[in-house]
Amino acid sequence: MKDTVLDIPAIELKGIRKTFTLSEDRDAKTVLALDGVDLKIRQGEFLTIIGPSGCGKTTLLRIIASLILPDEGEVIVEGEPVREPGIKRAMVFQTFGLFPWKSVIDNVIFPLMVRKFDAAEAREIAMKHIRQVGLDKFVDAYPHQLSGGMQQRVGLARALSTGADILLMDEPFGAIDAQTRELMQEELMKICQQEQKTVVFITHDLDEAVLLADRVLLMSRGPGRVREVIDVDLPRPRFDYDVRGHETFVKVRAHLWHELRNDLVEQRAEETS
Amino acid sequence: MIDKLIRPSVFLPLVSLVVVFGGWEIVGRSINPLLFAPPSEVLRQFGELLQTGELQDAAMVTVRALFLGYFLAVVVGIPFGILMGAWTRFGDILQPYLYAIFATPRVVLVPLIVVWFGIGFEARLFLVFFWSMIAISVNTAQGVRHARPDLVEVARSFQATRLQMARHVLIPGAIPFVVSGLRIGAERAIVGVIIGEMFLQIVGLGGVITKGSQELLPAKMLCAVAVIAVLGTIIVTALDTVEKRFQDWKGAP
Amino acid sequence: MKARSRKDVRRDQIVGVMVFLIIWEVSARLLDNSLILPPISAILAALWELIITGQLIVALSQSILLLIAGLIVATTIGFVLGALIARSRTAYWMLNPYLSALFVTPTIALVPLVLVWFGFGFPGRVTVVVLAAVVPILFSVASGLRDSPGDLIDVARSFGVKGEIALLFKVRIRAALPVLLAGLRLAAGRGVVGMAVAETYLRLGGIGGLIKSYGAMFQTDYVFASILPLSLLGIGIVSLIGRAERRLHWT
Ligand SMILES: Nc1ncnc2c1ncn2[C@@H]1O[C@H](COP(=O)(O)OP(=O)(O)OP(=O)(O)O)[C@@H](O)[C@H]1O
Ligand SMILES: [Mg+2]
Repeated sequence: MKDTVLDIPAIELKGIRKTFTLSEDRDAKTVLALDGVDLKIRQGEFLTIIGPSGCGKTTLLRIIASLILPDEGEVIVEGEPVREPGIKRAMVFQTFGLFPWKSVIDNVIFPLMVRKFDAAEAREIAMKHIRQVGLDKFVDAYPHQLSGGMQQRVGLARALSTGADILLMDEPFGAIDAQTRELMQEELMKICQQEQKTVVFITHDLDEAVLLADRVLLMSRGPGRVREVIDVDLPRPRFDYDVRGHETFVKVRAHLWHELRNDLVEQRAEETS
Repeated sequence: MIDKLIRPSVFLPLVSLVVVFGGWEIVGRSINPLLFAPPSEVLRQFGELLQTGELQDAAMVTVRALFLGYFLAVVVGIPFGILMGAWTRFGDILQPYLYAIFATPRVVLVPLIVVWFGIGFEARLFLVFFWSMIAISVNTAQGVRHARPDLVEVARSFQATRLQMARHVLIPGAIPFVVSGLRIGAERAIVGVIIGEMFLQIVGLGGVITKGSQELLPAKMLCAVAVIAVLGTIIVTALDTVEKRFQDWKGAP
Repeated sequence: MKARSRKDVRRDQIVGVMVFLIIWEVSARLLDNSLILPPISAILAALWELIITGQLIVALSQSILLLIAGLIVATTIGFVLGALIARSRTAYWMLNPYLSALFVTPTIALVPLVLVWFGFGFPGRVTVVVLAAVVPILFSVASGLRDSPGDLIDVARSFGVKGEIALLFKVRIRAALPVLLAGLRLAAGRGVVGMAVAETYLRLGGIGGLIKSYGAMFQTDYVFASILPLSLLGIGIVSLIGRAERRLHWT
């Protein structure tokens, strides 16, 4: 999946700007969340986004999902400008976003049901992805009966069941314990490689950012801009050798930390002054 | 059997009941059995009230007004609450009145209810219906307003239509609140029916209490109080159980 | 779902209340039956009358005295029993039947019994307020002291606080304060109801008595004029405690 000039990008962002107005009364205070983001995400690429807290990562992802519209700029998905959520993109949410009143299978079916799939067909598709994330035994369980890791598997199965080529994931493993997280990283990499998904993956975890990525996008502290895009040239599959010990991994990680650290230190200085 | 009796959750309350009721019996009987209504006196009175049918008739009267009023409260309260929740401006405008009504004890409104509804069945029904209805609609409105934004976003990201959003996100999300409203409304309805019977039209179980106080018969009052407590316990426990079942629907964030 | 700004909401509410009052005034004048619906102006005149004759002040102070006395007694009883059932299983199982019974029985149904057993004087009236208010205090004390976070207890122990009593005062009560205040707020709301019941059902007195005697004379304007301060009293007390609660919200 190296860049071919002919390939149209999976996602193209052109000059995205977004300002939020803090509600409460008219004497509006505004926050500039994104200040001109340009980006091309290739088809089948795994892009991780990392940046200081509040730099606009979530905002960017929601704009890509068309959950909110940018003030300026355009989101182009596989060559077509989009302004509404669509079938080519599916979200996985940090807090899982499962309906507490629906069982696992009904949660996974939800996107298919919304699109008026035939019930039997929808069930079959949903079952396939539930099996894929290893939850066959919990088809009829309810979210509150599942651990965090299992809940996020449901979230992942739901996104996969849409058949979308593009997965948008906002800190999907942020609320999951460290060991389960490593396991899920592995599984996610397997699934994405098998199914040739394009993934945009936000994380706070440097290791995770480097481990998963074909490219890491480093954002600068708010107003969010693209600060740097770093290629991660590590052989795949990455789980059957010691990636973390690999020279490239160590180098990229150290570089990211150096850059991030500068931002954080500046931010601290501003806060305390 | 013995095992069960020996458990503290059975044994200790039993001991305590025997001691308290026994003490009450001895002290009450030795001072003034009519005024202090020892348990034996209450039991005797209970048998008498059952025999004359006074208690059953009174309970029927109470239950009828209670159920009709509560039924009306549910039928009116839920749609009204949905309206208040969905049309935020309307809900906001109504809020001060609801607050004022809640802050005003119902007994002091009895004189107003008398001039508006008389002292008959309608007046009692109003006492049951109105406060119960408000409790139900306020809670329903809260449920409608407090749809979880994260789940709304999920549904939106999968392109749910407005109708699907209502059917799969907003309504199930509101149900736990509605059920809470039903429980609170039932509690208010029970108090309302008793107020009406004690102060407006002297009938039903509340009426038995008032008559008992006029005849200076605490035992008679205690019989009615006990029946009211049992009735209330049954209704509220049932709704409580339903309420707990729906707690999971509120979910984490 | 759209969050409206607080300013907008306030404005709507003020306009709403003004429209409501105007409609009331106009329809009351058209109806011309002050028994059923006295005009706002008549109610205000009656209120003014109650104020300058001093009736309102006297009644209010009687009511507030009763309420405060009742709440103090209820808090004391609630604290003792609540602490007892929180810290001792035996006490819990022995007291539970009575507390559950008190919880499910409408206070109003107990008032005639109070009249017979405690008389209609001040003790009787205080008893009614206590019966109304004690349950929420008791339950909040019990749950506050029971759920008091174990790690805080361990922290206190590690810094040398010794003994159950010291722990109770130094840690448990402070940790439970938000819950206790929430219970007190509920109790104050119910206490106002108990107060009104006591004043209308037992010997007439205070605001409740004022309302009842004007009701008996079918002077609806005076009834409204005396209900208003009662509602304000209730709202005032509850929001006062609510404010204290928000101050304390460190947990
Ligand atoms: N709906 C909103 N209304 C007002 N301000 C918002 C809104 N959403 C985000 N912001 C502001 O925009 C900025 C970027 O927020 P965003 O959530 O995108 O950051 P983030 O990088 O995802 O942060 P984190 O790493 O903590 O998740 C922040 O300053 C935030 O306060
Ligand atoms: Mg974020």
